[in-house]
Amino acid sequence: MNQLIQSLVDALSAGATLGLAALAIGLVFGVIRLANFAQGEIITASGYSIIFTWQLGWYVAIPIAILIGVILSLLMELGVFSRMRTATPATLLVASFGLSFLLQRVYELLFSNNVQTAPVAPELAQSVDVGGIRIQLLSVATIVIAGVLLFALIQFLNKSIWGLQLQAAAADFRTARLVGIPASRVIGLSFALSGILAAAVAFVSTVQTGAVGPTFGVPIVILALIGAVIGGIDKIYGALAGGFLVGFATSMLASWLPSDMSNFRDAYVFLLVIIVLIIRPSGLLVSGGTVRT
Amino acid sequence: MTRGLWWRLGPLWSLVSLLLIVYAVTVVTSYLGESVQVQFQYALVNLVIVVALYMFIGTSGVLSFGHVAFVALGAWTVGLLTIESDLKRNLLSDMFPFLFEVQAPWLPAILIGGIVGGLLALLVAPVLMRLNGLQAGIATFALLLVVGQVLTYWSSIGPRSGQSMVGIPDVLDLQTTMFFALGAIVIAWLFQRTRPARLLRAAREDGIAAAASGINVVTQRVIAFALSGLIAGIAGGLFALTNRVVQASLFGIELTFITLAMLVLGGMLSLSGAVIGALVFSVIDLVLVRLQNGLEIGSVIVSLPQGTRPIILGAILVLMLIFRPSGLTGGREIVWPFRRTPPLPGVPPTNE
Amino acid sequence: MPSGDLGLVVRGLSVAYAGVPAVRGVDLDVPAGHAIGLIGPNGAGKSSTLLAIMGAIPHQGTVKVNGEDVDGLAPEKVVRRGISLVPEGRHVFAGLSVKDNLRLGGVGRRSQDGSADTLDYVLGLFPILAEFRDRQAGLLSGGQQQQLAIGRALMADPDILMLDEPSLGLSPTAVDTVFDALATIRSAGKAVLVVEQRAEFTVAFCERTYVLHDGTITLTLKPEDATNVDVLTKAYFG
Repeated sequence: MNQLIQSLVDALSAGATLGLAALAIGLVFGVIRLANFAQGEIITASGYSIIFTWQLGWYVAIPIAILIGVILSLLMELGVFSRMRTATPATLLVASFGLSFLLQRVYELLFSNNVQTAPVAPELAQSVDVGGIRIQLLSVATIVIAGVLLFALIQFLNKSIWGLQLQAAAADFRTARLVGIPASRVIGLSFALSGILAAAVAFVSTVQTGAVGPTFGVPIVILALIGAVIGGIDKIYGALAGGFLVGFATSMLASWLPSDMSNFRDAYVFLLVIIVLIIRPSGLLVSGGTVRT
Repeated sequence: MTRGLWWRLGPLWSLVSLLLIVYAVTVVTSYLGESVQVQFQYALVNLVIVVALYMFIGTSGVLSFGHVAFVALGAWTVGLLTIESDLKRNLLSDMFPFLFEVQAPWLPAILIGGIVGGLLALLVAPVLMRLNGLQAGIATFALLLVVGQVLTYWSSIGPRSGQSMVGIPDVLDLQTTMFFALGAIVIAWLFQRTRPARLLRAAREDGIAAAASGINVVTQRVIAFALSGLIAGIAGGLFALTNRVVQASLFGIELTFITLAMLVLGGMLSLSGAVIGALVFSVIDLVLVRLQNGLEIGSVIVSLPQGTRPIILGAILVLMLIFRPSGLTGGREIVWPFRRTPPLPGVPPTNE
Repeated sequence: MPSGDLGLVVRGLSVAYAGVPAVRGVDLDVPAGHAIGLIGPNGAGKSSTLLAIMGAIPHQGTVKVNGEDVDGLAPEKVVRRGISLVPEGRHVFAGLSVKDNLRLGGVGRRSQDGSADTLDYVLGLFPILAEFRDRQAGLLSGGQQQQLAIGRALMADPDILMLDEPSLGLSPTAVDTVFDALATIRSAGKAVLVVEQRAEFTVAFCERTYVLHDGTITLTLKPEDATNVDVLTKAYFG
């Protein structure tokens, strides 16, 4: 019982993290059909910034991490993706692969191949006793952070006129422009939001590991991208749910697979992904039809 | 009459010119010292992978991130077949006992490696080939990750996690590798002219029309996928004999990305694009390695800071995608330079 | 501004898809206070004409809105010059509420002043939208969605309203509602350009109707031609 609750809390937290990362990918995909693999490098950049500035206090480190995430995300759009508006989603994905590879090497050059370390919010790395059950404080914090962010984001998307414009553009880009919604505004908005989400993911991940290297964001973005696609990448909430599911499943398998099989944890997840894709190619949460590509 | 002849010889010229180019570049590099030779042997192995990628991606228009999985299987097979039994017993002690005994000379080993790669492709294809676009990309990517995990952790078929297979014999030289590369180009060229490949290209150009005319694209795709998996497996064998150390981590995202980048650089819709992309990328890489080690021009030593080489390669790819998304060849084959080949029906003439 | 300039003037408009011409040298005049029709068989280039006027597809020729050149502008900029398109198939934002669809229509206004008045005007024109303001747009009937699409376009307070096949798939009553509204909009001094399949009806409704055939205008019809079967047959079969 004890172990079950503990593993559930961990899985919820892993799911929340990947849900946020997948949501960042889904927001951008909805608008310009880009599945941005280089989202991982935005997470890495924010991660580095948290490591380097944590000693100045969280109230400095976190805003800077958000700023870095937003700026890098917007730079990617301005420097690369805005010049590829007529490319197919497949070409865009390859370009984002290239950008990801490029940025990893730049990080290597700037910060060396070794990880940079700092104790980030060590108080969160403890376990607390809740009615005889030991629970990682970080897991709880991750769930709370993800919950608060999601609530704020949903309020923004549904209530503010900018959020509505983003939803309209994600649903039907041409009509949105015909109605008068500026393309550059919603595209910029989607990249900026994905930068904020990247910073949040970077924060919970750096607390967990206390170390950031050039490929810090890669495993996160792989699982998030896969999650976004199986959830239905062209629906914002589909991407979120898919990311959550992949994170939840990975964490649960890690907790419950017998030890001699736990090495193959990710292999099971990926097999599951292939099966889901075959059964529901347009996404678990999407009813019928195929993704516009 | 002459037109008919040109129609038949035109494509043959595109094959001959590609073979000549690969041959010429190989000959030139063989005069440039041993380290260049070794590096170019890797380049030729990559070329075979890129040709394999082209056979599937270029013909069907479907993205695959999974071909390196077949490369991995080919390399694994050749490693297991060519390392001496005693060495295997000592170094790879967790393996199934029968794997200690199986042995093959390197040439059959390469072919068996290709068959193993092709078999995996054939096995997964009926399921994967029903997907399109991003879904196909992600599913094949998942396949790559599954194979990577299994090879990393399943010590019954290889080294323990984090260790590598060593003791692969030093038998493959640059010239032999070149013949494999030429062979792969010939096979891809022949495949292009078969019925399945032509149907796939038609379906790629106009999916709805092809479906309406009753073409079962899935079957054709399965054929293309399996055949390109076979070539990728052979490339894996060549890699094993070139590198002489085999480890699962070599066959991951990075190799997938680099080979895809070569294909995109050249132009993923033509065989010429695949070959020229791989060659150009490799030659640039050769030059960058020289520069990074310091190149003497007259009395000046030009040298790039360490670590800038992959950055430049990555930047070239990204710029290429921005400014010339259809690649160096623009998706066309090399044509006979002294006479205009008749334009393809339905393709508007270009002024390039 | 001389009053003759008010409205839409199109000269020599051409559109090609992958080198194949779809619209060739079309001239249109849609003066303020008039409803102008554009009819023709499927594939004649009607929708391409409207999309080109909005700047949504590449084209050649000049488009003047209230005397001002809008060529080379992105659709979101063209809207702000005072022209709105109700696209074929309505394309309401199905996941959003009626209210939010109308709010989004207001994004394209030249000035946010008076948007409350425009909303009152739209809700007066289509009372059903007030009744269902919190309903998801995707749950409305076809006729209601068409009213929402027109209302959304009107929220940008355009001087020129273009509609692409507004009667497509609607019941006869719903078609009446839509065209009654168009008559009101016309009498308020706006210019209306309506693309339709239903020739007789359109010719009777509009001050002038252009017939588009294979990308060129082959005929210009007056309301009295609506009862002339020969002319209408000629319009469709050339």
